[in-house]
Amino acid sequence: MSDDLIAVFQEELAELLESLERGLVDLQENPEDAGLINQVFRDLHTVKGSGAMFGFTDLAAFIHDFETAFEKVRAGDVPVTPELVRLGLAARDQIPGLVNGDPDPNGDRVAILDALRDLTSGVATDVVVAEDTVVIEARQSDAPSVLWFRLSDDALALGARPDIILSELKDLGATQITADLSRIPSLDDLNADQCYVAWQMQLPAGVSPSDVEDVFMFADAEWTLTPTEVVETVEADEIDDLLAEAPSLDAPSPAATQPKTEKAVAAPAAEPAASIRVPAARLDALMDSVGELVTVEARLTELARHSRDPALLSTAEEVTRLSARLRDATMTMRMVPMRTLVSRFRRLILGLSSDLGKPVEFVVDGEDTELDKTVIEKLADPLVHILRNAIDHGMEDPAARAQTDKDKVGCIELSAKHVGGEVHIIVRDDGRGMSPEKIRAKAIERGLISSEAQLTNGQVFALVLEPGFSTAETVTELSGRGVGMDVVRRTIEGLRGVIEIDSKLGLGTTVTLRLPLTLAIIDGLLIEVADERYTLPMSSVKEIFELPLDKRTASRNGDYLDIRGQFVPFVRLRRLFDCAGDPPTEQNVVVVEAGDARVGIVVDRIIGTNQTVIKQVSKLQQGARAISGATILGDGTVSLIVDVAQLLAMSGPLIEPKKEVAA
Amino acid sequence: MTKTVLTVDDSPSIRRMIALTLREAGYNVLEASDGQDGLEKATTSRVDAIITDQNMPRMDGISMIKALRQHPNGRGVPIVVLSTDSADTLKSQAREAGALGWMVKPFTQDKLLAVIKKVLG
Amino acid sequence: MTLSASHKIVITFSIGPQRLAIPATDLREIIDPLPTTRVPGAGDFAPWVVNVRGAVLPLGDLRLPLGINDPNPAERPEDARRFLVLEAIIGGEATTVTVMADIVHEVATIPLKSIEQLPANSMWPSEFIEGLFKGPEGEFVLIPDLSAIFTAMAQRAAVA
Repeated sequence: MSDDLIAVFQEELAELLESLERGLVDLQENPEDAGLINQVFRDLHTVKGSGAMFGFTDLAAFIHDFETAFEKVRAGDVPVTPELVRLGLAARDQIPGLVNGDPDPNGDRVAILDALRDLTSGVATDVVVAEDTVVIEARQSDAPSVLWFRLSDDALALGARPDIILSELKDLGATQITADLSRIPSLDDLNADQCYVAWQMQLPAGVSPSDVEDVFMFADAEWTLTPTEVVETVEADEIDDLLAEAPSLDAPSPAATQPKTEKAVAAPAAEPAASIRVPAARLDALMDSVGELVTVEARLTELARHSRDPALLSTAEEVTRLSARLRDATMTMRMVPMRTLVSRFRRLILGLSSDLGKPVEFVVDGEDTELDKTVIEKLADPLVHILRNAIDHGMEDPAARAQTDKDKVGCIELSAKHVGGEVHIIVRDDGRGMSPEKIRAKAIERGLISSEAQLTNGQVFALVLEPGFSTAETVTELSGRGVGMDVVRRTIEGLRGVIEIDSKLGLGTTVTLRLPLTLAIIDGLLIEVADERYTLPMSSVKEIFELPLDKRTASRNGDYLDIRGQFVPFVRLRRLFDCAGDPPTEQNVVVVEAGDARVGIVVDRIIGTNQTVIKQVSKLQQGARAISGATILGDGTVSLIVDVAQLLAMSGPLIEPKKEVAA
Repeated sequence: MTKTVLTVDDSPSIRRMIALTLREAGYNVLEASDGQDGLEKATTSRVDAIITDQNMPRMDGISMIKALRQHPNGRGVPIVVLSTDSADTLKSQAREAGALGWMVKPFTQDKLLAVIKKVLG
Repeated sequence: MTLSASHKIVITFSIGPQRLAIPATDLREIIDPLPTTRVPGAGDFAPWVVNVRGAVLPLGDLRLPLGINDPNPAERPEDARRFLVLEAIIGGEATTVTVMADIVHEVATIPLKSIEQLPANSMWPSEFIEGLFKGPEGEFVLIPDLSAIFTAMAQRAAVA
């Protein structure tokens, strides 16, 4: 078996295992769901079938027993219980080891199967697992024999081929082949799909009934094989009657193979549409090419604009349209639903809940929300961390909950939804919540903020994300929320996302991850300061207006704009980026938003919008904190992408940035 | 004229194995990942034989065969059903639905070729 | 032919008055100067990026880590300037970077035994120099340790 096939099998197995896990965990919540039970069964079945095909016989044997246990569940004889799910998951976990050929020194596998069997036995069912077909080896005929056969009425419609059958029979040594045309009706009654002809022939000695059976394996035929002694000289039209009395050598159906209880398969549920499997690397390569195309397209558009040649202009427009379509199609291909992550989380919560003795209900909403696959992959760890925190630190134990009139069973909700150009992933618990005062006090103690700092609640909760907020040796119920959260924040920010925390003491905590839909291409707003062109992510741009004349020079009281009654701080990009020269008389303000913070960015002028293919900047330039990446403009020059979240963090005078922008 | 075999299986590895084996033997192979897909391909392309799995999402093998036999393009095409066990109910179900025969998984590449030869000559 | 065992193929170039050599295996290409984009806050070692055929690469200035002082920068002919596209290991990761050269001289095959260690009391930063050899006119040609330089500069940028 080629390595290539094995690789395909391995990949398929990984998916099946995930589906199996998801199915089992979901069953726990919906034990009666026939569709789920069928799905689990089908997954097991496929693992067994493919495993056997690819030579993993131990695996196939193991799954066979696993499947047998579930057979009774499918038949409705055994209810789905938490114990059954637990054992099912344990069995599922054995599969990778079986595939790797890992030994099982402690006999775990047998133990699991035994436990499964115990759990599902004791229920009266007469399910008998089918053994391989019982082959009845009829006595070898020493004498030549006569074979007579007729295809069933619909055999031709089923694709049976008398010509192949006859040629195979010839290979067995058939002679004196004659056709029995007696049944052919008149032309009016003739159905072209039906075979009316029967055949008779002599077969040499040594041809056994099983040899003949082999010939008719793929033909539905009525046939008899009779030693020559019996039939001596008979007219063809008498054969029928004669043979009707002859003992049938047809293999009887093996009595041992009682039918499995085949429960009606529910109407096919909405399954994902037919799909083809593409290695992730190819998608990445495609995305890279699309990125380059978008860059070239920008250059073409620029050239066309300069040339003013109408034909070139319209061609460039066409290319723009097509490349946008191609970009969208490619990005869609990279989209993966959140669901792929959720089963892992269910299991985590299930395990933590029982380990910690804190019963929780895990509610998931928006599993179908799709994100770029790179984002999904990178989200797994941060989300595990946040969920773990929620149950470990956020959730009170049942006794404490009872005292506060809360339901004994806590609730953790994971939801995902599209909001504009972002995806919001929200983890909400109804646990004890956090006290802003305590966090504040602790942050002051840790030197993260000055005691005079005026912070909004959002800013206070954001402090738990600071690296210095919690240290391993001071894990308390309060600080525990923060352990490792700086890592989470780094990951999310690496995805150009933002974390927001909100909490109500006694009522619970909500952690919101706001992520861009895709990492590769964004819509950008191109702006200019001091002849340098920068790109702002369009998704963060809220509004653009002219800088009021009275704000042209810096105010002693800080730079604020009154936007419809709200004071919004603003930064002068010229100053922040240490640009040379004087600003023009007319400047623009671009108001950007990240989280619930807003800031105005003063720029010389707005150039326009563009499709921005994001390129990473080198580690050599990681000192440029206000820059999240770079993009190549139509004229081939590089425009840097402004990191709006960082800009907000740096411009927020309320939280003292620990490090000033190196300028 | 090259014969075309349609393989219908939700397991990509089995599909691939069948496709590789048959292609090496000079057959043309179409692949479908479930009954629905198989039905579409069988009714819209010229197919000389079909090898289908039984238990598949969206549409199982038996339903596909039944539907196919109703379709003008689906009559007369030999269909071989794959199954992981050889219980007779399965066979009679398959037969009733309109399958020509069946093959028990696991099978070897040689066995597959022998079966296809039996079906297509 | 075991030239590679006994010899090293290098590209020699100058930054200011200093002649330098880098192994040909580290050099990806030599290109004419490209328009640069300033990266605010990136520090003084690699304050620009350039677009090299669709890749955005940092443009570094070896003057800083090597402590090269050019008293007469105006004397360097503008049209001799080149960018060297190099492969370096930054913190264990292969990275492509560009550096500026005032003039590129030649590809030279130098015997390994002619390469010397930096003298103990030299004015050059020993942590960034692999070795040196005598050039055609008797001047010292430095072989910079590119990976050490870029790794150190990246760390510097991280704490900037």
